Amino acid sequence: MGISFTSINQTKLSTGEVYCETLCELAEENPRIVALTADLGQSSKIGEFMKKFPDRFYQFGIAEQNMYGVAAGMAKAGLIPFTSSFAIFTSCRALDQVHTDICYQRANVKMISSHAGTSFGQAGTTHHSTEDIAIMRSMANLVVIVPADGMETANVVRAAVEYEGPVYIRINRGFDQLVYKELDYGYEIGKAVQLAEGTDVTIIACGSGVFQAVQASAELDAVGIKARVLNMHTIKPIDKDAILKACRDTRRIITVEDHNVIGGLGGAVAEVLAESGMSCAFRRLGLQDCFSPIGYHEDLMAIHGIDTNGIVKSVHDLLQLDFEDDDDWDDEV
Amino acid sequence: MDTRDDRYSGKIFFNAVLPLVRVIIEDVPGITASLKGKSGTFQVSAMTDEGIWATHFTVDNGVVTTTLGALDDKPTVELAFKNLRDFNGFMKGTSKKLPSIRGLMRLGILIPFMRALLKMASLLGLKEAPKEEETQRLLVKLYFYLLSSGISQLNREGHPMITEWTRKSPNRVYAWTVDGYDDVAAYLRVKAGKTKAARGRYRRSQPFFTMRFIDLESALATLLGTGDMMELVAGGKMIMEGGPEFGNMLGDYMLLVGSYAQA
Amino acid sequence: MPLTKEELLAIEAKAHEHRRTIIETTLCAGSGHIGGALSMIDVTTLLYSRFMRIDPDNADWEDRDRFILSKGHAGIGFVAILADIGYVDRRDLETFNLTGSNLGIHLDASKVPGVDASTGSLGHGLSIALGTALAAKQLGKEYRTFCLLGDGECQEGSVWEAAMAISHFNPPNLVTLVDRNHAQIDGMTEDVMPLEPFADKWRAFGFHTVTVDGHDFEAMNDAIREALDRKDVPTCIILDTCKGKGIGFCEGNYRWHYGGITQEMGEEAMRDLDAYYERRVAAIEWRGEE
Repeated sequence: MGISFTSINQTKLSTGEVYCETLCELAEENPRIVALTADLGQSSKIGEFMKKFPDRFYQFGIAEQNMYGVAAGMAKAGLIPFTSSFAIFTSCRALDQVHTDICYQRANVKMISSHAGTSFGQAGTTHHSTEDIAIMRSMANLVVIVPADGMETANVVRAAVEYEGPVYIRINRGFDQLVYKELDYGYEIGKAVQLAEGTDVTIIACGSGVFQAVQASAELDAVGIKARVLNMHTIKPIDKDAILKACRDTRRIITVEDHNVIGGLGGAVAEVLAESGMSCAFRRLGLQDCFSPIGYHEDLMAIHGIDTNGIVKSVHDLLQLDFEDDDDWDDEV
Repeated sequence: MDTRDDRYSGKIFFNAVLPLVRVIIEDVPGITASLKGKSGTFQVSAMTDEGIWATHFTVDNGVVTTTLGALDDKPTVELAFKNLRDFNGFMKGTSKKLPSIRGLMRLGILIPFMRALLKMASLLGLKEAPKEEETQRLLVKLYFYLLSSGISQLNREGHPMITEWTRKSPNRVYAWTVDGYDDVAAYLRVKAGKTKAARGRYRRSQPFFTMRFIDLESALATLLGTGDMMELVAGGKMIMEGGPEFGNMLGDYMLLVGSYAQA
Repeated sequence: MPLTKEELLAIEAKAHEHRRTIIETTLCAGSGHIGGALSMIDVTTLLYSRFMRIDPDNADWEDRDRFILSKGHAGIGFVAILADIGYVDRRDLETFNLTGSNLGIHLDASKVPGVDASTGSLGHGLSIALGTALAAKQLGKEYRTFCLLGDGECQEGSVWEAAMAISHFNPPNLVTLVDRNHAQIDGMTEDVMPLEPFADKWRAFGFHTVTVDGHDFEAMNDAIREALDRKDVPTCIILDTCKGKGIGFCEGNYRWHYGGITQEMGEEAMRDLDAYYERRVAAIEWRGEE
């Protein structure tokens, strides 16, 4: 079942375009797939779908609440609607519809929410989405996925079509840094992907944080620190086993997300750790309960400490901390 | 005039080898029995450029504890070496110069400890692996403790090869284990120039690196140098859990300790 | 087809039966959204008697007509109809609102057969109805979708988002109805947040809009038929109703949006409903004699 484009395509396409191209391929095979947008067709790159399947593309104008209600109605009647809007609008503006019409009624709607985190940096807080993971995580019946790059987004879209039930897919705005070179790395909803091995510390990241974490791990390796990197693309259902293994194996965990440190990936990982009863040095990287200033995404990531340098620094800080008695340095006799 | 090498050897013997006496006492039922109900102190000492170096043992109603350093009071029994070189030589088995023995009459303490010392010397002097499982167990245990403590002592004494490594290290644990023998284990914790040698398995988390032997024979083959390490690894007899470069590094440090403890 | 006298009398009887069921259910539950249920029960009875093509043995029949009760709190009225069809066991009505019951103020589509959407949060139903109707077109199906809103509900902006979109897409077979009973929780609509000129608003949004007496079956029947035939623009039927219609102490009183009734009040209500029914039947008979 082909997702046929290659790595070469991916470098030319932004994540949004990859999503659209994948959707078009899937729509060829499945006539029940339809696409909806709320005047963000251009921004979310759903335009290609519009050209290929004009009678399966629905434009709702700047009226997100209606769009999500309509999507629910369509799903209940047997279609598979893919909605495109900005993450801030899906999670805040239209949340009542997402909650009641889609999640509560388990409507088979796939919500592509773009411009996540601070990726639309220059637009400022009104268009940033740094709470949506926390919000969506707490919606029952909803699967929440934050793909790391375009390649992963393609896999996620395909998995979403195969999955029966509502899915929230959080992507960025522009060109994401490449994490994967090919599609076939065994993507599975709910299964974290280990991208680097190590036992000094584990960096658990999602979305744009993944590439940064991989870079950080390479940098740390050069100074002899071995950092494991987990791409935790699925926030719900979260891969508890991978987290607990990281806790046992490395005893230090850092989470990285383009999101408030409250309630997002960091919160989700903390919940797993706390309930396990295992102790672990732990730190959440993200926006420290603040709104973001305006800036280019890369700069904002640096400001919030979720870029490579920020991660490297946090690892160094964390390694100074100890979870065992630091006073007793006598040899056992 | 004590050389640096004298001091390295001395530290290893006092602080990594002598403490093994207690392990032997506790492991050999005959010696344990002979200390039953006894109380007193046993000390081995040597005069160095920095003053007295010593390790002493306290027996309290048959229970032995080890302390590095000299007793404030007069020990019940003491083996006192005139200088470090004599002491090192004695421990290596290269010197026949005996220490002066104080408390010669206190046989209740003297005999068990001398027995333990001799047993230790004979075990550590073995060139081939013993046949009996119990002896194998004890010997591997002794080596694990000796090597982990030895590395730690070299660090404390400022051996450049060791301090170069420990200085830069984040908090990591290096462990030695044998499958199926939980008590035959030791580990070394390293962090920013500090080291701590400890006995038994490290349970708090997975150690940064483990030199894992699948059985006692394989462990002895490595420790006694009778086996080829590459072969052992290739044959799956020794498993390096962690980066192999760290395994090699650890192996070098173990050899370093060995070089100071042997003739 | 206009209603024959027999058909009309049959519908009247059915509606009366449902009104009584509303009171019975409220008595079991202790309290309920009596006012709004009584104002919408007539049009809903009519829809299910004359228009809704459903399968009583298969609530999930793919090609069934859909009814979206956007004013979800009128579930206590809708449930009477569902019991009549057989989707709900009549005896279960006694458990309405009780812990563990499948039935409560806002009907759950996943628990109650025949409910096409879990409504309750006002302002959602019309969007869902649009989605349903668009899907019909997309899938090449002929089922009709009816959406019944409350008038207070139309204060929600999302209703007008949906209205704009319905006008734009104009899917076939979608009929919008508004139960204009002029009252909401905190008072009469015109005192709380005025809706007038209400019909004009719908017209401005591109709907062919008619206002009919929401308790006149014949008028409603004609309006719905016309709406189904009209293809060029969508239709909105504003049903001029009376909150709590049929019960003296409820009629026109916004305070009966939601209320508790005692056994005595229940008996009084039943007497009022019976008398109301008799008056209505008499009026029909009397007309026939002319």
